[in-house]
Amino acid sequence: MKGPLDGLRVLDMGWVMVGPVTGRYLADLGADVVKLESSRRVDPLRTLGPFKDGKPGLERSISYHNLNAGKRSLTVDIKDPRGREAILRLVEWADVLIESFSPGVLDDLDLAYPVLKARNPALIVASTSLLGQTGPHARGTSGVGTMGASMSGASLLLGWPGHPPCGTYGPWTDAIAPRFIVPSILAALHRRRATGEGCQIDVAQAEAGIQFLSPAWYQYAANGTVMERRGHAGSPLRAPHGIFRCAGQDRWIALDASDDAAWQALRTLVGGPLLDATFDTLIGRLRGRDDLEGAISAWTASREADQLERSLQAAGVPAHVVSSSNDLAHDPELLEAHYRRIDDPVVGEAIVEGPRYRLGRTPERATRRGPRIGEHTQEILRDLCGYDAAAIDELKAAGVLV
Amino acid sequence: MLHDIRVIELSGPETMMAGRILGDLGADVIVVEPPGGAAGRRLDPFLDDTPGLDRSLTWHALNRGKRGITLDLGTADGRALLEALGRSAALLLETADRKATAPRADVTLPASTVRCRITPFLSTGPKRDYVASDLIVTAATGVPGITGTPERPPLFYPVPQAMMEAGAEAAIASLAALSARDVDGLGQDIEVPARLAGMMSALSVPIVVPANNPELQRTPARQRLAGVTLPGIFACKDGFVLVSFAFGQAFGRLTQRLMQWAVEQNCLEARLGAVDWSTAPQQAEKGSLTAEDLRATVDAIASLCRRHTKDEFGAEARKRGLLAAPLMDMRDIAQSPQYRERGLWSSPVAVGAEGRTVDDPARFAQFSNYTIDVARPAPTLSQHTAEILKTELGLSSAEVQALFVHGII
Repeated sequence: MKGPLDGLRVLDMGWVMVGPVTGRYLADLGADVVKLESSRRVDPLRTLGPFKDGKPGLERSISYHNLNAGKRSLTVDIKDPRGREAILRLVEWADVLIESFSPGVLDDLDLAYPVLKARNPALIVASTSLLGQTGPHARGTSGVGTMGASMSGASLLLGWPGHPPCGTYGPWTDAIAPRFIVPSILAALHRRRATGEGCQIDVAQAEAGIQFLSPAWYQYAANGTVMERRGHAGSPLRAPHGIFRCAGQDRWIALDASDDAAWQALRTLVGGPLLDATFDTLIGRLRGRDDLEGAISAWTASREADQLERSLQAAGVPAHVVSSSNDLAHDPELLEAHYRRIDDPVVGEAIVEGPRYRLGRTPERATRRGPRIGEHTQEILRDLCGYDAAAIDELKAAGVLV
Repeated sequence: MLHDIRVIELSGPETMMAGRILGDLGADVIVVEPPGGAAGRRLDPFLDDTPGLDRSLTWHALNRGKRGITLDLGTADGRALLEALGRSAALLLETADRKATAPRADVTLPASTVRCRITPFLSTGPKRDYVASDLIVTAATGVPGITGTPERPPLFYPVPQAMMEAGAEAAIASLAALSARDVDGLGQDIEVPARLAGMMSALSVPIVVPANNPELQRTPARQRLAGVTLPGIFACKDGFVLVSFAFGQAFGRLTQRLMQWAVEQNCLEARLGAVDWSTAPQQAEKGSLTAEDLRATVDAIASLCRRHTKDEFGAEARKRGLLAAPLMDMRDIAQSPQYRERGLWSSPVAVGAEGRTVDDPARFAQFSNYTIDVARPAPTLSQHTAEILKTELGLSSAEVQALFVHGII
């Protein structure tokens, strides 16, 4: 049996995160993904950590492997007319093209959608940038996902009332945008199977971020209320609901015992001040929230977070450690089912993430390592672009394959 | 694009985004709720802060475009009707919540049906029996643990995120299974654990320690150079702006342009504007760029930001090509000519019974030959039950009344 996208051909011209993550989804599902790289303008992801054993190096970035697992790498100077022609031959080969250049760059290279479409009318082109290809601010806005997070409303929502916002952890929209690009590509492929039609898809990363905050948008649009950063982890409409400090350095447990059954279970487990009649009712718990949280904190403060997670869950109370990078590395669920071991000639054995879903019938493709820069240039030019050995040598001698 | 795909969504908070994305891409989405209403109807915020089964703005945001029916899946009739409806569907979306879901064994669907179940933790893993909610799953993703400052507790978004992450991931997994179905006509059972989906927003955090690196500290957006903190967020005249000090080959020149602007505005001395900022970390290490220089630079950028409004700052950042952007709130987003002129907003969608409408940020993608639009507002409780049971399943008016009398719809 084959993967759902077995036989699909993808040219991934993205870099850093959004394009590559999109390409990795397709690779995991069976597609043959060719990643365009340049050894002159190296994918910045190769310069970002984490690096294996903390030692930097262009072939040592585990982030690169994580987002480019299973792809082939081609280096071609796209600005050279001969390089451009090689790309156009790949455009004829491809079913899907992913690109995340700053808006306007492909126009300057004479590789805008109409040009690509003329070479391959059935091609599906997925373009993504911070604000999209159109609109008064699209051109000139390029950069990183922290900017997407800022312009989606997310960055202001994280922090403490009365203090400057902290912002999102990292380039948040880099994680969100692929969730809208991949469904758009898969829907376009579904249509193409019936009609043969290709298309261009244009996803603005900041607009993708707004989708995940749509309740806040509706609150403004319908009620006129601008959602503010809250600081407190829990909802003001639930109690107890939030995070509580545990024994050790910066250890926290998240706990949700607002619903009656969970509350009774927590109460029985903790006893002491939680048995106070004030806390019999939800309204009592909301009004006495500070005392309630103080009592729970006093109970959790001397206890070890992992142990608490297990004992609260055993009692039927929704709870989980607020996972740190170290917790994630040692989490039994992730060790058993999420991490995949790759073997790479440069970094040796390393851990990357697996798919975030399970398909019951179609087989999961084994997670492979990411490519080295230009590792597959020769075979791609030969097998996919149709160049013979002499032509490839000529391109190489002309400095086009860098 | 998905006009030939019908989706049955046994509504739970985590299915809502999945059904929304598929509906926006053209699928016919029918939401199935218990007669008392889906859990998503009880999620805040509420219209005018007044609760009610048809007043959840979270529900409205994630269910517009869908039709809605009620069915008690705890009854033989409810299950039989779901099976009948299921025969016309390519995809069934459900959660692990037993109240909202028909146990797999109890409802037989054709072999061509894709059945996507969203669980909090992997149903075959060591946390399979964990009880969870959005807060709990989000805590387990690693995102809050790394968000905020080390002096204060971890930060969570005031909008539930695990359900968004899981729903969007479920849309991908479902479309993948539908691709396989396009080839061989067969469906399959699929699972999306919300925890794994949500870990996407933890970016590289999960792979840091396994690659033999030290544990990460919770820090806000900022960098440190020569012992000096370079903040990522600065106050401006009317709010805050993001300013990234990036170095190296790809982004260093953007920092250079920021410094040039600061010099032109007389905020930064020319000497510091002339530093090669792409190699600043190396210069700081050598000592040719001192802590004092860096402190002066941070002060200069702070004063540059204070002189401008968010809008002015954004315009200049675009003009000069800076790694900088205004921190926008929903009011700013409403007023932004970029989102409006680009066409993010759908035609107005009704919210509540009083005729109020909102523009919905429906167009998450612009297609050269397809336009996302919102065909109808979110269903009121049981709005389409009679219509669907009669026209789709051929029930008589008396039969529909009988189902209501028995509390099945």
